[in-house]
Amino acid sequence: MMTEGFNSSPGIQSSAEESRQLGMDVLVGYILLCGVLLSMLLIIIGLVWKYIQSGGIHLDYELAGMNLFQFVVSEVHIAALGEIRPRLLVNMGIVVLMLTPFFRVLASMVYFLAVLKNWKYTVFTSFVLLVLTGSLFLR
Amino acid sequence: MIPFHLVFPVAILAGFVGAMSGMGGGIILIPALTLLGVDIKHAIAISILSVIATSSGSASAYVRDHITNLKVGMFLEMFTIVGALAGAAITLVSSTRPLYIAFGGVLLGSWLALLLIGHESWHSVSDQDGITRWLELEGSYPDQVLGQTIHYKARRAYLGAPLMFVAGVIAGLLGIGAGAVKVLIHDLVMGLPPKVSTTTSNLIIGVTALAGTSVYLAAGLISPGLAAPVILGVVLGAFLGTRLLVRLSNQSVRRFFLFILLILAVEMIVRGIRGA
Repeated sequence: MMTEGFNSSPGIQSSAEESRQLGMDVLVGYILLCGVLLSMLLIIIGLVWKYIQSGGIHLDYELAGMNLFQFVVSEVHIAALGEIRPRLLVNMGIVVLMLTPFFRVLASMVYFLAVLKNWKYTVFTSFVLLVLTGSLFLR
Repeated sequence: MIPFHLVFPVAILAGFVGAMSGMGGGIILIPALTLLGVDIKHAIAISILSVIATSSGSASAYVRDHITNLKVGMFLEMFTIVGALAGAAITLVSSTRPLYIAFGGVLLGSWLALLLIGHESWHSVSDQDGITRWLELEGSYPDQVLGQTIHYKARRAYLGAPLMFVAGVIAGLLGIGAGAVKVLIHDLVMGLPPKVSTTTSNLIIGVTALAGTSVYLAAGLISPGLAAPVILGVVLGAFLGTRLLVRLSNQSVRRFFLFILLILAVEMIVRGIRGA
């Protein structure tokens, strides 16, 4: 089979290498945690605001079909006009949630490239990033 | 519009089960939302959005506890993400009854396969093949129940990869994490320990779900009024489920998983046949 003369004994890594690998776990873990918490925070503030404003937490609006990029642009545009409303906060919560796995993959790619210098996994994560980016621009 | 106080508890339960089993939660959420009167395509779209939240929320803890295998995850993501885009595209043009039956069929298939290997306890792969070694798919994790670090190697990545494409199609198609299928591939095909299987599946699900969500967002199927309670509930449930998982033995996780799968499989198939 094609082992390409790769002879490192499995399971045995130098401790520096090992601690760099563990560093990646921490980085990825915190990106995921922060993304989810920020998203939830935005949604909760949006709902609480809605409740204070109208006495209920029903959000009766739909999103027209658009890709994430158009969604972000329209929300940022509304925010720039100073029209910060419950609806904007809930929408931003959804955007942040969708961008969380995206940034996780992006950070992993950079970490494989710059810290672990693992070309194989830099290529793998780049591919995933490319497909994800493409899907976010889907129409 | 379904009231917040009905959707929220259902979402908590879905998140809890999703994190406990590595399935992602959609498997509970979609049947429940359709029972509350949500159209199945909207339910699928909201479910897959919420799967991003469950996956990321619970994965964040597993990854920091060093149980998840990032390399296994990132290698397999390449295949599952392409599948997810294809699956979501199929759902947009499909009618609803086949969706129910496909949903139940996937669950039942997973249940049968898991049952057949259920009595066998995990032991480390000794015959790692060249391709899997080249892909560096191995690792170790601290097992809180056994109180020691478990070293393991994966095998048969060449078989796991195309199967993960299929898992991606199912995820995109049905708006679930398809974690059941991913866990099976990790367990049976690649020989990973059960906890590494479920937690790595959890990580992969986030990326698959994002690809699916993009398709549904573009189709205008994401409704924020439904998304808000579902996201909040699912994350809360997943948080509770995650804290429980690390304290359980591999056998209890498997038994719990089998139980949930069977109930839902039967439920969805019956609804598909009856015309829901």
